[in-house]
Amino acid sequence: MTETTAVPVLDVRGEICPYPMLRTNKELDEVRPGVLELEVITDHPPALSTIPPEAMKRGYGVEIEEVREGEWKIRLFKDS
Amino acid sequence: MAMQAVEATRGSGLPRHWWAFGVLLLPTLVYLVALQERASLAVFWAVGISAGFVIQRSRLCFVSGFRDLYLLHQGRTLRGLIIGLGIATFGFAMIMGAIVPDPATGAVPQDAHVLPVGIATVAGGLLFGVGMVLAGGCVSGSLYRMGEGYVASWVAMGGVMVGLFALNHTWNWWWDATIATDARVWLPTRLGYTGAIVLTVVLLAAAYIATLWWERRAPAFAMIPIKRAQPAPPASVGDDVRAALQRVFRKEWSPAAGAIALSLLNIALFIRYRPLGVVGEISRWANDFAAQVGQPAGVLKGLDTLAGCAAAVTGDSWVTDGFMLNGGIVVGSFTAAVLAREFRLRIPRQPRRYVQSAAGGVVMGYGAGLGLGCTLGAFYSAIPSLALNGWVYAAAMAAGALAGSQIIRRLT
Repeated sequence: MTETTAVPVLDVRGEICPYPMLRTNKELDEVRPGVLELEVITDHPPALSTIPPEAMKRGYGVEIEEVREGEWKIRLFKDS
Repeated sequence: MAMQAVEATRGSGLPRHWWAFGVLLLPTLVYLVALQERASLAVFWAVGISAGFVIQRSRLCFVSGFRDLYLLHQGRTLRGLIIGLGIATFGFAMIMGAIVPDPATGAVPQDAHVLPVGIATVAGGLLFGVGMVLAGGCVSGSLYRMGEGYVASWVAMGGVMVGLFALNHTWNWWWDATIATDARVWLPTRLGYTGAIVLTVVLLAAAYIATLWWERRAPAFAMIPIKRAQPAPPASVGDDVRAALQRVFRKEWSPAAGAIALSLLNIALFIRYRPLGVVGEISRWANDFAAQVGQPAGVLKGLDTLAGCAAAVTGDSWVTDGFMLNGGIVVGSFTAAVLAREFRLRIPRQPRRYVQSAAGGVVMGYGAGLGLGCTLGAFYSAIPSLALNGWVYAAAMAAGALAGSQIIRRLT
């Protein structure tokens, strides 16, 4: 995989539980099955503890970055 | 290794700018003004601020306590709440023991949340459970999220007031049909304090174990610990102080820590006044707004006989103890969010989310009025009151939350 490939982004800002997690699951399962990398943008702190375990169930690693106050980028990735 | 989970830059340090601590001014000033007026106003404000702070820091969400059991097989929040209930049970028993030394006489401590148990309790709990999952927060949860900047929670609170308005207009029917004759079952009356405490603790332990069992039934997967960026080891007293402050103001507390802190606040408030509850006050707001637009609810029957979260009635002043408590929760949560650098205006992008929050709020509000309380008053303050209604409400609410979870899955 080259670095030039754009990483798909799922923006779930404004959504509250359980939607950040449900929409991420849907993205991984239905919209982009088997995607190797996905960035989820959220402003809902509880999502930081619901999205990672669900992604791990699907074999993804997780990286969380605070983009700015009250906003986070969750990077989900796995080896091909 | 790609499977590694790394929390890279969760950021460290307290607020970027020292003036962020200016948010402490508002709670402090209101406290001082309230103190001049009446001591109880200041106490309810202080407890509200503290409760909002605690709930925000621990993200203590009653909805997720139930909903995540169904959606994720996660029980961490619920187990935290159960521990908090256990703590409150002992504290409440001490207080009630001082008010009613001999429960066998049939006397019931007046301010404890011992409420009529019947169809209304079940129906109220069911509606509340469905509504809170749809709205994405219970009533106290919506109060604290309002402070965090969630626009949807302001909408949900509007819905709650509409629901309470509807309930208050049908209250007298419910009262005559069932509530007036429903028994108030206070466990110590027959079991004594010891028996009631033992029974409550055994039931809580059973619920705790059942939650663990349910979590075990989750589809197995490798939970990779999320690694946190390790800060430099503290090298001075200043660093130690900073680290201690961060643990309180910046890092997320566990649900159990939040639940225990909330129970301690509940006990403290009950020692002097009454247990925590927020719905009676919101009901008063709904009735007053309704009266303003020519829709007064009239005289609601039986309110003077009910403790807990029955609708409050406006007296001399609009600024009451309950007003200070609810306002305190919003402001306390706002304060905590700013200090944690988590405050943000959160605006739903999909129009249907507003509809969902409002509708969930209406259903939840009606249920809260009918069941005489929300997750706080009819559950978190009722089970430690050694009252049967707390358990019935909890069971109905859990069933409602299950139904609500099925509905929201379809609304993705």
